[in-house]
Amino acid sequence: MLDIDDTETLNMKNLISVKNITKTFKDYKAVNNLSLEIGKGEIYGLLGSNGAGKSTTINILLGFLKPDSGNAIINDIDTISHYNEARKYIGYISENVSLYPYLTGIENLDYFCKISGRSLSESELGQLLSECSLDSDAHHKRMETYSKGMRQKVGIAIALAKKAKVYLLDEPASGLDPLASNELSSLLQKLSSDGSAILMASHDIFRVRETCNRIGIIKKGELVKEMHTSEVSTNELENIYIEYMQS
Amino acid sequence: MIDVIINEWKILFRNRLFIYPTTFFVLSLMLVVILGIVQNNNQEKFRNKAQNHVRQQWESLEAMNPHRAAHYGSYAFKPLNILNSMDSGINELTGNVIKLEGHVQNEIVYSEASQSLSMSKFGKLKSSILLQYVIPLFLIFLAYGSMSNEKETQRLKILVFQGISLRRLTLAKSLSIWLYGLTLLVFTIIIQLLVSETSLETLYRLLLIIISYGAYYYIIASVSTYLSARLKNNSSALSSILAIWIVWTIFLPKIWGNAVEKIHSLPSRKTFQTVMKEDRSKGIDGHNPTDKRREELKVRFLAEYKVDSLKNLPINFDGIVMQEDEEYGNLVWDKHFGNNYTILQKQKSLYQISGFINPFASLQSLGMGLCGTDMIHHLDFLKKAEGYRRYLIKTLNDKHAFGGSKTGDWRWTVDSVFFKSVEGFSYENPKISVLINQYLVDLLCLLWWGFLATIMIRYSLNERLVI
Repeated sequence: MLDIDDTETLNMKNLISVKNITKTFKDYKAVNNLSLEIGKGEIYGLLGSNGAGKSTTINILLGFLKPDSGNAIINDIDTISHYNEARKYIGYISENVSLYPYLTGIENLDYFCKISGRSLSESELGQLLSECSLDSDAHHKRMETYSKGMRQKVGIAIALAKKAKVYLLDEPASGLDPLASNELSSLLQKLSSDGSAILMASHDIFRVRETCNRIGIIKKGELVKEMHTSEVSTNELENIYIEYMQS
Repeated sequence: MIDVIINEWKILFRNRLFIYPTTFFVLSLMLVVILGIVQNNNQEKFRNKAQNHVRQQWESLEAMNPHRAAHYGSYAFKPLNILNSMDSGINELTGNVIKLEGHVQNEIVYSEASQSLSMSKFGKLKSSILLQYVIPLFLIFLAYGSMSNEKETQRLKILVFQGISLRRLTLAKSLSIWLYGLTLLVFTIIIQLLVSETSLETLYRLLLIIISYGAYYYIIASVSTYLSARLKNNSSALSSILAIWIVWTIFLPKIWGNAVEKIHSLPSRKTFQTVMKEDRSKGIDGHNPTDKRREELKVRFLAEYKVDSLKNLPINFDGIVMQEDEEYGNLVWDKHFGNNYTILQKQKSLYQISGFINPFASLQSLGMGLCGTDMIHHLDFLKKAEGYRRYLIKTLNDKHAFGGSKTGDWRWTVDSVFFKSVEGFSYENPKISVLINQYLVDLLCLLWWGFLATIMIRYSLNERLVI
């Protein structure tokens, strides 16, 4: 089991690097001197309760929030000063992938690709959606008929189309049924095996344990514990999490 | 940016909540434009009929003394510009008919408002009501959630993440909403062109109408979209935009209008008439042979014609006196009406300046002006009608004086051949190219607002607003 100070990872190039970031909203410290590093091919689960600072950390990495102090680096690019450049390497999937309900899955994907300056053929778009395990029958159906899991898959396809090196996921499994959650895990593992670095913020202990290589527990903006998933069972992880939350 | 606009339109046209109101708008606009033109044509037909009838009566006058004919007088009917069917402006409040006769300048009478029970607060339903109030409101309803919805559903993060900046996205969305308003506007203009007879002058005016309304729709769409991007959620965006719209369309025009009337106040009708009467009384009384000024004029004319009495004058001195009286009356009228005209001009100029804080004021001014139904066009008609009155009375007085009769010969008559030789009243609306400088301030205000809205989007939105 690794402690906070033991930041030696899997001897890979760090694609995500957060160093001593602090972010305060008025009197409330949302992130407090947080540091973490995620290497190529790694899936990092950031576990914490609501308001623990997970989304603030992701928003800093996305370049939407400026920390009071510290650095956030994606693929050697500072996300604070060069957020536009850094974003080229990031795929982002939010808790509720709420795309345009009156467009079909393929139209949504096409639109988001065009926004990023890529124009893909219909077969390429279909292939991307299929890679994300979305049934081909659904490709031409309007998103308003999609389940949350299906919408999540289109969201991932959008990130995939960007050929991102880094994926930031904010509560991606929230509200998904077990099958969809499982498919999401498989997809993320496939992405990591292709060399991507993934940061997944969640409070779903089971899903994090199943999906990630490494886990960090965040409480009141501080990273209070880090560990490799291979070192803990789901039950042990749950006990550790509860212990930290209650302390 | 084009991709965003295409996408927005695709989404709009797949949304029933958009399709139904759009269908309603298109049908309403068609109906209102067509009915407006039919109504306009009918009114114009009646007006022409009345004007022809008056002329016919004039031409078939029995032989009579020219001065008696001056008292008989004539009528001028205010013609309706074809674009009155779009925006009736002040036409419903001002009169339509003015009696033209000797000695007196009558007021224009028979306004539609004074004769209609069905006249509502907004006047008759014209396409300008839909174009000025309803469509901007609909644009607001389309725009208020355009960015805040993206924010609430977190799509905005993904969009910005895909590489489009918040400013560019906001601008593209406001353009897509603006294009919708522009489509309805152009549709209205096309219907107007198809149903009505169109001259080159009408085309110019319609082109300027498209520019004016187009600029206003851009302001509405971009300010609404800007606030939608700027504010946290849908409800705060909607309430802010509606508050601005209410201030622009209801409060500011009233407040500013009242202030303008206080700053440059017109004399009351009673004061105007009393002062006019008083000044008029200082002139020659054409029907009073003992009048002092008449005596002075008599001495002058006797000397001029080198005769010792009026009966030896080769002309009819009564006609001279009548015309002298008219000339004096004209001076009095020019002085007082001119003063009113100057005040009205000052009021208009001051009201136009409000366009710098209220683009709706500029749109209203341009809407009426370009449709030829504002105060400027009305005053032009009054001036031309008065000009014709002067021509008519002078022609009659000159005939009385120099037509061959002698002083005091009130039984001397002229026949219909002479009456037919007197030109009838005809009026054409002034060309917009002549009047355009009257509306430059309004156009500038709209451009200023368009520029301001673009600057707000360009420089006041940043990435921090995405979350």
